[in-house]
Amino acid sequence: MQSDMRRYETDEPIYGLATGYQKSAIAIFRLSGKGCIELFSKAFSNARRLEKASSGTVIHGYVIEGGERIDEVMVIKYTSGHGYTGEEALEVMCHGSLVIIKRLSVLFEHLSFAQALPGEFTYRAFMHGKMDLVEAEAVEELISSKSETSSNMALMRLSGGLSKEIDNIKGELLDILSSLEVYLDYAEDEVEEEWVYPEEEVISIIGRLDGIASTYNATRIYQEGATVVLAGRTNAGKSSLFNALLKEERAIVSSFEGTTRDYIEADVLFGSVPVRLFDTAGLRESGEAIESEGIRRSRKLITSADLVIYLLEDGEEESDVGNENTLFVHSKSDIRKSDGISFSSITGEGLDELVKKAEEMLIGKAEEHPGYVPISSERERDALLEASSILKESLGKSDLSLDLLVLYFRDALSSLQVLTGEITSDDVLENLFSKFCLGK
Amino acid sequence: MIDYDAVVIGGGHAGIEASLALSREGYSTLLITQSLDAIGRLSCNPAIGGLAKGNLVREIDALGGEMARLIDSTMIQYRILNRRRGPAVQAPRAQADKFSYSRLAKETLEREKNLHVFMDEVVDIISEGRKALGVLTKRGNEIRSSVVVLTTGTFMRGKIFIGEYEANEGRLSEEAANDLGWNLEKKGFPIGRLKTGTPARVRLSSLDLSRMEVEKGDEKMRPFSFDYDEVERPNLDCYITYTNEETHKIIRENINSSPLYGGKIVGKGPRYCPSIEDKVIRFPERERHQIFVEPEGVGSQEMYLNGLSSSLPEHVQEAFIHTLPGLERAEVMRPGYAVEYDYLDPLYLYPSLESKMMENLFVAGQTNGTSGYEEAASQGLVAGINAARKIRGESALVLKRSESYIGVLIDDLTTKGTKEPYRMFTSRAEYRLLLRHDTADQRLTRLGAEYGLVGKEKLERLEEKLKRIDDVKVLLKAGRMEGKSLYDLLKEPERHISSFSIDEKDEILDEVEMEVKYEGYIKREEKEIGKFLKYEDVTIPPSLDYNKIVGLSAESREKFSSVRPLTLGQAMRISGVRVSDYAILALAVKENRESE
Repeated sequence: MQSDMRRYETDEPIYGLATGYQKSAIAIFRLSGKGCIELFSKAFSNARRLEKASSGTVIHGYVIEGGERIDEVMVIKYTSGHGYTGEEALEVMCHGSLVIIKRLSVLFEHLSFAQALPGEFTYRAFMHGKMDLVEAEAVEELISSKSETSSNMALMRLSGGLSKEIDNIKGELLDILSSLEVYLDYAEDEVEEEWVYPEEEVISIIGRLDGIASTYNATRIYQEGATVVLAGRTNAGKSSLFNALLKEERAIVSSFEGTTRDYIEADVLFGSVPVRLFDTAGLRESGEAIESEGIRRSRKLITSADLVIYLLEDGEEESDVGNENTLFVHSKSDIRKSDGISFSSITGEGLDELVKKAEEMLIGKAEEHPGYVPISSERERDALLEASSILKESLGKSDLSLDLLVLYFRDALSSLQVLTGEITSDDVLENLFSKFCLGK
Repeated sequence: MIDYDAVVIGGGHAGIEASLALSREGYSTLLITQSLDAIGRLSCNPAIGGLAKGNLVREIDALGGEMARLIDSTMIQYRILNRRRGPAVQAPRAQADKFSYSRLAKETLEREKNLHVFMDEVVDIISEGRKALGVLTKRGNEIRSSVVVLTTGTFMRGKIFIGEYEANEGRLSEEAANDLGWNLEKKGFPIGRLKTGTPARVRLSSLDLSRMEVEKGDEKMRPFSFDYDEVERPNLDCYITYTNEETHKIIRENINSSPLYGGKIVGKGPRYCPSIEDKVIRFPERERHQIFVEPEGVGSQEMYLNGLSSSLPEHVQEAFIHTLPGLERAEVMRPGYAVEYDYLDPLYLYPSLESKMMENLFVAGQTNGTSGYEEAASQGLVAGINAARKIRGESALVLKRSESYIGVLIDDLTTKGTKEPYRMFTSRAEYRLLLRHDTADQRLTRLGAEYGLVGKEKLERLEEKLKRIDDVKVLLKAGRMEGKSLYDLLKEPERHISSFSIDEKDEILDEVEMEVKYEGYIKREEKEIGKFLKYEDVTIPPSLDYNKIVGLSAESREKFSSVRPLTLGQAMRISGVRVSDYAILALAVKENRESE
């Protein structure tokens, strides 16, 4: 089929995180390939300076998306022949928060950078003659990355339900393609019936592809991060939980009621979901003006949050807190044991479970079509939408001659390869021979 | 002592092309066949061409081969298939007078002054180290040559089955070449078994044609060859009839006497061309199967029952044949039968078709696991051209997947191998919009000239055709109607070039129309080809030692070592190799080149 799974390439624009995927002061992204400066400029506040700058220059600016500043960055420019890979390249230094890293990664994909395969920068460096010790580095990287590469492979990453649904769609598309290929590989005197465009089936496939794609609520949950609000009565231990989740002392924690007067926010990661976490003022009627203003704002946050983590005090019943997506938890399990999810901010016990449950609920929220397990990457979503759009285009062209119409089905299948693995002409023939009685 | 420059073993469709290519390039060539009377036989169906296969025939012609000329002079019906399914998948097919075809093939060989046709049976290939030096024959002739081309068809340890009957034959009543099979096995060649079959032939005068549908050919016959514009041949009808419940019942009741279902045949048969017993058993829901009744030649009584291939006992065949409308009283002249034969695993070939097991030995045709006259001839031609180049010490002709079906065929065989008889299908080609039968000359003739077989006249005809195509396009761009250029107007679905009354041959106009209407799709395919070629141009030395490449997985190491790909592109098509292993290979190839 036409496009394969991505291979080690040269010159195609790629991005990769040079520092580890972990919280740190500064993270560095590497961009490499033909036209990568122009692509990056689309989201860079100081594009004109970047364009004019000579190789090796450092430029300050902001990464911008949809008018919003994502982060303040320093960029080093390398013209072709100068950088690590020997290609036109950029190094982008940003703040090392996981949410920023995640958002920049998504942005680079939007700008049509492909994610670098393991060892690909070194591979390119070698291919462009920037490096000569093969065994020392590139090969090492490639080998050590093998487990990672294969774990990234198509279906393995997909959870049961989705993989089954994708498999069904692949099967149906393969059937349509084979039924069409029959007419191209056997003459009209051997295949008596005429091929009819299977409109109903194609519409159903399009609907399902779009359905799965929309489970990836990329624009909100993954890109901007989910909003999670810690709520509960005053002194329920919200700030201790907030700090435990941040693993650093950031909110002022004290055991007096009403210490947290306004909300505090921080970026954290709940599993795969980037989260903006809010610690709210305790929900307590108060005569103090500042506090009641804080409480008003807290209520507003709670209604609009993707998830509320409500800390129940001992003996407190679950109640309507103004957001149906609420996770009730018991705090201070170090003090007393109770049913349901409970944790201790001091010992850390139960925290993992809490985070996992919260992540599940967030992903569940992203899922707008019940019955589908959500997909987990932008690339997969794009693949689904591309296949769907190719099929939509074919719907309007059902009167095209078969040799052209077949291209749409070939392409639709090949754009799903990210999810299904490669489909070869042997697969098509295999399917064709098993379904049709052919041959003189 | 060298007796000949080249020895070609076998006089079938592969042997014919190989021996003509070698002798026409000036090399003294010996073609050895078990029977002079069997040269160029159409052992199975009396037809040449068809979907994808018609493209192969025209590609053979574009490269300077013979098959198109042979069928042009012996056709007895001509059709363009799939007219309504789009230009990219149309192809010509002709019914052949198989007796004249075979005779003309023999005469063509006999006319070549450098070619000696000789009747004997090769029993072994003489070799020293891993180099072929010539052949040894049954009658004890030892013939030395620089290169050997092996084209054994179904004859190497061929075995025929009809019910209980078995015989060591490659075609009915034609002796198999058993010793050659044993000796090649002893030498360590990787041998497998394949199976194919053929239906009964019945006597025309015993048929009731009025009970069958008539299938006529196109009124206008067109040549397969690009060398001339007209073909004048008799135009005979074919007939269509159908099997029925009664036919299927007889087959089901006797299935145990089938050598295939009884387990006597171990070789794998082609799924795309199943025997009637296969069709009945595998697709029980089908109420009927279409059967074509085709003449085998002008003036011959033999009629070929296309679709009724069988190895059931003769009395069973006769019984089920008699259940078909029009065949109630059919007199069987030759029974249907299955034939099982040796093939050599084509993974042990370079894309030049030279064996990796033995230098100077080229292998072509069914010996490589293919089926079909056209597939055989294609390989024969390439093997012949490359054997000649080997003698001269020149680099091999390797056709690309993006430029020909022949390229797809040979790349598939030598990169993926085959476990069943390999037939060409259009769906095997990635770029079929560009591999149309009518563009074979534009794709290959210049290459043919460069590689030696194409003469001046053929090249001039190509240049003439290209000029005419260009002229028509210029005319279309200049002419205006309804406020648009004719060129743009032609892109509209309902417009046809014929309505512009341009004074030019239909072939030229058809091609321009196709190019204009499909322009967007063709451009896209050309872009894909650009990406594809990036890897095809990175060559890998055949001597590369995969054991020395650090980091390859054991599985990929084994696959690379056995296929020994000649380009990075070919390496990438080997099935089941990890992406990171390609990258390691690419690094190693570059390192290797720089250290040399």
